[in-house]
Amino acid sequence: MSIVKAGFGRTLAAAAVFGLILSGCATEQGQGESSSVPVGGSGVPVPATGTGSVIPGAGTLIPPVVTPPAISQNYPKTIQDSSAGKAVLSLYKQAQDARAAGHADQAEALLERAQRIEAHNPFIWQALAGTKLELNKADQAEQFANRSNDLARGNPYIEAGNWRIIAAARQARGDAGGAMQAQARADEIARALSAD
Amino acid sequence: MARKKTGSPPRFAFLRSPLVRWLLIGLALALSLGLLLFTLFLVKLDGEVRTRFAGVRWVLPAQVYAAPLEVYPGAPLNLERLRHELDRLGYRAGDELAGPGTYIAAKDSLRVDARAFTFWDAAQPEQRVEVRGGEQGIDSLRLMGSDQAVDLLRFDPMLIGSIYPSHSGEDRVLVKLSEVPPLLPQTLLVEDHDFYGHGGVSLRGILRAAFANLRAGHSVQGASTITQQLIKNLFLTNERTLKRKITEASMSVLLERHVSKDEILEAYLNEVNLGQDGPRAVHGFGLASQFYFNKPLNELQPHEIAMLVAIVKGPSQFNPRRAVKLVTERRNLVLKMMSEAGDITPDEYQLAIQQPLGVASGPGGGAARYPAFVDLVRRQLAGLYQEQDLTSEGLRIFTTLDPSIQETLENRISADVPELEKSRHMAEGTLEGAGVVTSVEGGEVLAVVGGRDTRYAGFNRAIDERRPIGSLAKPFTYLTALGQPERFNLQTPLDDTAIDVTLPNGQIWSPKNYDRQEHGGVPLYMALAKSYNLATVHLGLDVGINPVRKTFAAAGFDDVPEVPSIFLGAIDMSPLDVAQIYSTIAASGYRTPLLAIRAVLTKDGKPLDRYAFKLQQTLPAGPVYLLTWAMRKVIDLGTAHWATSVLPAGRVYAGKTGTTEDLRDSWFSGFGSDRVAVIWVGRDDNKPTGFEGATGALRIWGKLMRDLDAKGIEPLPPADVEELPVDPVSGLRADAGCTETMSEPYLRSAEPQQYAPCANQSKSTPSNWLQNIFK
Repeated sequence: MSIVKAGFGRTLAAAAVFGLILSGCATEQGQGESSSVPVGGSGVPVPATGTGSVIPGAGTLIPPVVTPPAISQNYPKTIQDSSAGKAVLSLYKQAQDARAAGHADQAEALLERAQRIEAHNPFIWQALAGTKLELNKADQAEQFANRSNDLARGNPYIEAGNWRIIAAARQARGDAGGAMQAQARADEIARALSAD
Repeated sequence: MARKKTGSPPRFAFLRSPLVRWLLIGLALALSLGLLLFTLFLVKLDGEVRTRFAGVRWVLPAQVYAAPLEVYPGAPLNLERLRHELDRLGYRAGDELAGPGTYIAAKDSLRVDARAFTFWDAAQPEQRVEVRGGEQGIDSLRLMGSDQAVDLLRFDPMLIGSIYPSHSGEDRVLVKLSEVPPLLPQTLLVEDHDFYGHGGVSLRGILRAAFANLRAGHSVQGASTITQQLIKNLFLTNERTLKRKITEASMSVLLERHVSKDEILEAYLNEVNLGQDGPRAVHGFGLASQFYFNKPLNELQPHEIAMLVAIVKGPSQFNPRRAVKLVTERRNLVLKMMSEAGDITPDEYQLAIQQPLGVASGPGGGAARYPAFVDLVRRQLAGLYQEQDLTSEGLRIFTTLDPSIQETLENRISADVPELEKSRHMAEGTLEGAGVVTSVEGGEVLAVVGGRDTRYAGFNRAIDERRPIGSLAKPFTYLTALGQPERFNLQTPLDDTAIDVTLPNGQIWSPKNYDRQEHGGVPLYMALAKSYNLATVHLGLDVGINPVRKTFAAAGFDDVPEVPSIFLGAIDMSPLDVAQIYSTIAASGYRTPLLAIRAVLTKDGKPLDRYAFKLQQTLPAGPVYLLTWAMRKVIDLGTAHWATSVLPAGRVYAGKTGTTEDLRDSWFSGFGSDRVAVIWVGRDDNKPTGFEGATGALRIWGKLMRDLDAKGIEPLPPADVEELPVDPVSGLRADAGCTETMSEPYLRSAEPQQYAPCANQSKSTPSNWLQNIFK
């Protein structure tokens, strides 16, 4: 009861802590930040499925039960490598061009069109998040990046990009601590990828 | 001679009379004064004409557009559907591409001349494209006359309404003379054929009309020039007095001194009244073309132009939707004039007179087809713009309406509500229905139906009918519980036994199950799937009223009373409100305020505002995932199981039935991965209907989702959720030792620790796990 009164954010924080106690490790991150998580020093991202996955810890490292396959090669790095349709690719490209030309608002409109065609394409959500950043909508940038992470199915390339956007968004909001955390997350994934 | 001259009385001798002289002087003075006054009158009138005409600011109501149709390889429509969509947009099928707005259909291809259109993000030129495909869908698009593939073709959006001023009802779509098909002014000028020669008033015209009228014995021809008619329409009343006639003629002559002929003609084309649609007055040929033929003016055929010219004289008398015969005769007369003037060939004439009027069906044609949706747009606009700007600035409003989805929803409600009504032997017209369809990601309102008469622009039940939502409220109590994973998971047994709740006013509330039974200990997900009231009330009281109210608020509705009966849905909501809170669940806990407007352009097509959808994670993803799993069970094995008989096999949807006291309201709200749909069925007099959610609204919802080909849910567990094998008998964790298992999601933080008796790893004895359940 008291947890619910305090709101869901705290409920989840509590839930996460509870889960971590169960799995015997400590963490600073809450839920919903990533559907795939790189494991501390091993540098190997672990897909979220299966009981062997571990929530990333700032401290103790729990080795995964099953050694995960080298997953990075299976994930598309860019939307062009993904299974996105031609219409979406075309809109995405137009949007990138618009962004490059400084027309973030136009890019946003183009990406929304793409999003209507492929509603669950994490690359589009990520590009939208980047656009929000350029439009000085830091809060929305973080929300869109989070949504992209939710839909990324563990794609570390997408997740690293999203954490960078989240870091920039938090920086823009004056949340230096949060920005550092997010950047650390992005760097961690990037290191894991380069080691892969 | 001289004598004679002097001898005879002088011819003007009477002039010598002082009286006559005074009279003459008086007359001259009077004439001079009259002339002076008339000159002053003219000078004043001239000033008036100049300022008033210069100041003529067309009342340009905002134009409201549906979402444009986007066609691309793999788009969710086949060629037949595409043809249907083009017909709706007023495209004309034929054997050749005769300009924009035409298409040629074949078995496996469709060639189309897509109209140019200025969108928010780009101005799109006219394009000729060949679309290849078939029954299954669209395979490819190619620019005609080249090998260039087209990735995406966006059609011009349908004009679905306008925001006109309520006091005058004046509505118009402005056209430029250069955009008008030449045949239209040519035909209009038949009765004023000296238009480019006269100075505003035509003496020849007056004589000719007088002669024609004399010969006929009654008035058959008017002598008013286009200029006079414009002056009358713009500045004067309809009264038939000499004074008005003089003013009209004078102003016409004066206007011609300041304004070019083309400007006068263009003003006339935009001003003339061409019909009435309830409180809305149809002004100008631009709107009339949309109003009657559902397409732009420049695409009108000779017989259609002739019809518009035919009704200029009296659009109420010559109403093409009512006086079909009269208007056809008059149209054919105009066609004859066109032919005699050589404006159309004899062949064209013969073809034209055989055509039906071709007026778009429905009271308002294309422009008033979607009253419930336009009503929603109007409300959302009212919070964003001044009324003055909306009704006069010619803003172009781009909305989220998907005409295809709207049509599907309309068809279902107008077919199924009467059928349900019949099945209960209710008097015809007593049962009502409403529905809303939104997109899961992006919060777009795609379709709104406000009643079984979908064209009726009256009471909008989808927005204004706030009724108790019954069991549609239950998921929010369950979600509140699942947000406490240390206490609740999907298998947590709930107590489905009788309960008396003492209300703040001292009354005792004793809820009952629908089947009047008690079911004892029921797993949480099953209590929701079967919609058990007692288990829900127990659960709600356990988690608390205010936490449940907070969950509602987080989902997007904060007008929830602080009473325990909210657990069973004593909350008044409209179908649109319900769509909002169910959207938040459907979008994994991200709340997006439902929007009906995407963007606004100025009348010149310049971007003004855009309304990007906003996102906020307000409900936790993990518990929402668990809740959605339980809501899938509502359809799999619960109260909405009927839906599996109509929904496509293999697709997964989630939803909830809702029934209110004495079977007054029947609700269903549910979603797949791309659409949220809410259906309400009930009576305006709020009397019982005899329908539960499952026997009423669900019947419409199931068939609607089928007809929409709505995508099923693709389960994508959030990071804090894992699927575990569970023994269905005990509801405890299973492993290889169990022969039958089902997969169930748990929050990682609170995985079940106990193994089922069948499990190899079982360390708990049966007595232990029973104890655990009921502790």
